[in-house]
Amino acid sequence: MVAHLVRLKLALLRNVFRRSRAQTIGAVIGVLYFTVLVLGLALILASFRGSPVEARVVIPLAGAAGIVLWTVVPLFSFGSDPTLDPKRFATFAVPHRDLAVGLLAAALVGLPAIASMVLCAGVVVAWSQTAASTSAAVLGTATGLLTAVTTSRWVSAVLNQAISSRRGRDAIAVVGLLLLVVIGPAVSVVANLGENLAHVAATAAAVVGWSPLGWAWAAPGDIAAGDLLAGVVRLLLAVGLLAVLFRLWSRALRTEVDNPRAVSRTDSGSTSGDDLGLLGRLPPSPAGAVGARVLTYWRRDPRYQISMAMTPIVPFALLIPYYTGDLPWTPLLMGPLVAFLVGWSGHNGVAYESDALWLHIVSGLSGRDDRRGRLVPEVLLAAVLVPLHSLVGVGVAGRWDLLPAVLGVAVALLGGGYAVSSVMSVVLPYPVPESGESPFNAPPGAAGITLAAQSLASLGTLVLASPALLLAWLAWRGSTPACWAAAAVGAALGCVVALLGAELGARLYDRRAPELLSALRRG
Amino acid sequence: MSDVSDLPAPQGEPIAGPAIAVRGLGKRFGDLIAVKGIDLDVPRGSFFGLVGPNGAGKTTTLSMVTGLLRPDAGQAFVLGRDVWADPVATKRLVGVLPDGLKLFDRLTGLQLITYAGLLRGLPRELASERAAELVAALGLTEAQGKLVVDYSAGMTKKVTLASALVHAPRVLVLDEPFEAVDPVSAATIRRILAGFVESGGTVVLSSHVMDLVERICSHVAVISDGLVLAAGELDDVRAGRPLEERFVDLVGGSTEVVGLSWLRTSSD
Repeated sequence: MVAHLVRLKLALLRNVFRRSRAQTIGAVIGVLYFTVLVLGLALILASFRGSPVEARVVIPLAGAAGIVLWTVVPLFSFGSDPTLDPKRFATFAVPHRDLAVGLLAAALVGLPAIASMVLCAGVVVAWSQTAASTSAAVLGTATGLLTAVTTSRWVSAVLNQAISSRRGRDAIAVVGLLLLVVIGPAVSVVANLGENLAHVAATAAAVVGWSPLGWAWAAPGDIAAGDLLAGVVRLLLAVGLLAVLFRLWSRALRTEVDNPRAVSRTDSGSTSGDDLGLLGRLPPSPAGAVGARVLTYWRRDPRYQISMAMTPIVPFALLIPYYTGDLPWTPLLMGPLVAFLVGWSGHNGVAYESDALWLHIVSGLSGRDDRRGRLVPEVLLAAVLVPLHSLVGVGVAGRWDLLPAVLGVAVALLGGGYAVSSVMSVVLPYPVPESGESPFNAPPGAAGITLAAQSLASLGTLVLASPALLLAWLAWRGSTPACWAAAAVGAALGCVVALLGAELGARLYDRRAPELLSALRRG
Repeated sequence: MSDVSDLPAPQGEPIAGPAIAVRGLGKRFGDLIAVKGIDLDVPRGSFFGLVGPNGAGKTTTLSMVTGLLRPDAGQAFVLGRDVWADPVATKRLVGVLPDGLKLFDRLTGLQLITYAGLLRGLPRELASERAAELVAALGLTEAQGKLVVDYSAGMTKKVTLASALVHAPRVLVLDEPFEAVDPVSAATIRRILAGFVESGGTVVLSSHVMDLVERICSHVAVISDGLVLAAGELDDVRAGRPLEERFVDLVGGSTEVVGLSWLRTSSD
């Protein structure tokens, strides 16, 4: 069973490189980029071999952060890997225990796990002072990595179950808000540290080292420093924690396999009778129809609801460094950030519809109508959020004189985002969760291309908006003409770039709509 | 694969020529040649059945005719217009029901049909009027306010058919329209299609249910392994025998069952 699942995972990984050419190039770039990054980090970790005191501070903190990242990142970015979605195994008579072990082993075959293993190798090098510390390091990092993977699987299994009920969804929303509230004080503590950061880090490492997140990572340090007892105790605790987590994950898995329900559709809302909904309200042109349909999807599809809920909230995080640290300029970025998020969000818009796009193609819908229709919901959203967040941000910062520049930058980012989205959603669609799947699921082996495409879209948006950003920076440095120039340039640039981008996207769509459909079917 | 330039394009005015003409159409996926340069004429006003075993290239061929899949070779014409040279004009004439593709299933049935109409550029009143009529004709009135994602397989087929009909096409291209459809709904769909043909429209459908094709189609083409083995009027193709027999003859597969002796439970 274990071998089967691992082989399945390997095949899926290989298939990443067998999609369309653009997607393969994206995947290769993504993989190269992260190889360099991971190797660099591993070298840095390994270099702590020469300074064991610092290593005892840095490595437990890094390890604990690793476990947190393993748990949190899949929920927001790539989703947990659904090759390993236990529901898929519901119809096969696989013993629960074998399945649990097999799924964990398969999780260790993915790119994130390989990256983590490279980093772990760096950690082992760092602790390789004595034979005892080396073996403790091997055991400790292996336990730590398995803890990270198991926690990640367990949390997404629990959340998957929670999200299938309305009460669970509400609970997740509340927890999310609580986390946002807690981030504030946490950042303030860090921000107020200032120069004695090293001292605090040492304290934090001591605390984390005795917390469940740090047991496995701190143990080799104790042994390297000669504190055999503490090291052994921590190792035992770490192994015990792993056993407990494995039991929890097994149990969650059993519930999922025995009760394999898809994400509930109860709140998808059925309109009564002959109501056309938004289709009856927007202009009755093809573009208007596309816009109305996308808006309807935003309301009914959990995959959009997640990002819809995040978009207005995320910019408020910029207030945290303002209130806690010495950064008077961060609230000014609220308006531009929300504009960026709204414009950027469409860069993979078509992929979310999957091959339902055929209806557009057989209808002979022109690329221009398709692209413009998709802009409608984003323009409506931006028209509400951008002024709101800009005003709040400027008001909090007390810099009403900079309002024109802020708005200019926001419009430039919005336009740049639209332009990039219009082109990229045609050229480089990358796999996303299917309609009806959990929004936390991501297609297997898509992490590399997802990151590459998202980085490319962000970079493209920033480059397109860079003239306005530059002028706004000058305005911040005190130049009043630059402030008005940023407003004028930003507004003009945003509109022109958006129109040009939509036009280019439309031409590309007209030229290669059938190829786009094939890419979506394979994706 | 025959050279495209050797073959004549459909001659004459659109009024006179075939509804669909395919010349040297070919498609390969990597090492697999799915369609090997086929020629096919679908006469105007015919009820044309495309039959063939699984993987014969039926869906690939129909996708290339409807503009969903770009051919590697050859041309396809609908009422005399080249599908790939003049897609906008062609697509206005054709209604399509593809097989195995998703729908915008977070819309209600009524919304989906209206959406299809609006995409085709119909005025909203006309689109919603026709959508309501189609919903009633296909017996979906009860479910018109439900999301398509909650529809059964048969209802999904019907709502897709309605989306293909809403702009009053001249040619209908339907891929497996009767798959997973219950007998009552199938009868409804058959009546609608028969009416469409009677009023001068042309229907092309693919199926592997020979009985059904034999009952409703006026013309038939047998496709296997990316080639047309036989095409023409139903009676010519079946040559006095049941279509199924003739089909098995043409395709040449063996119907003999080898092995599986353990499956026979005669011992008890």
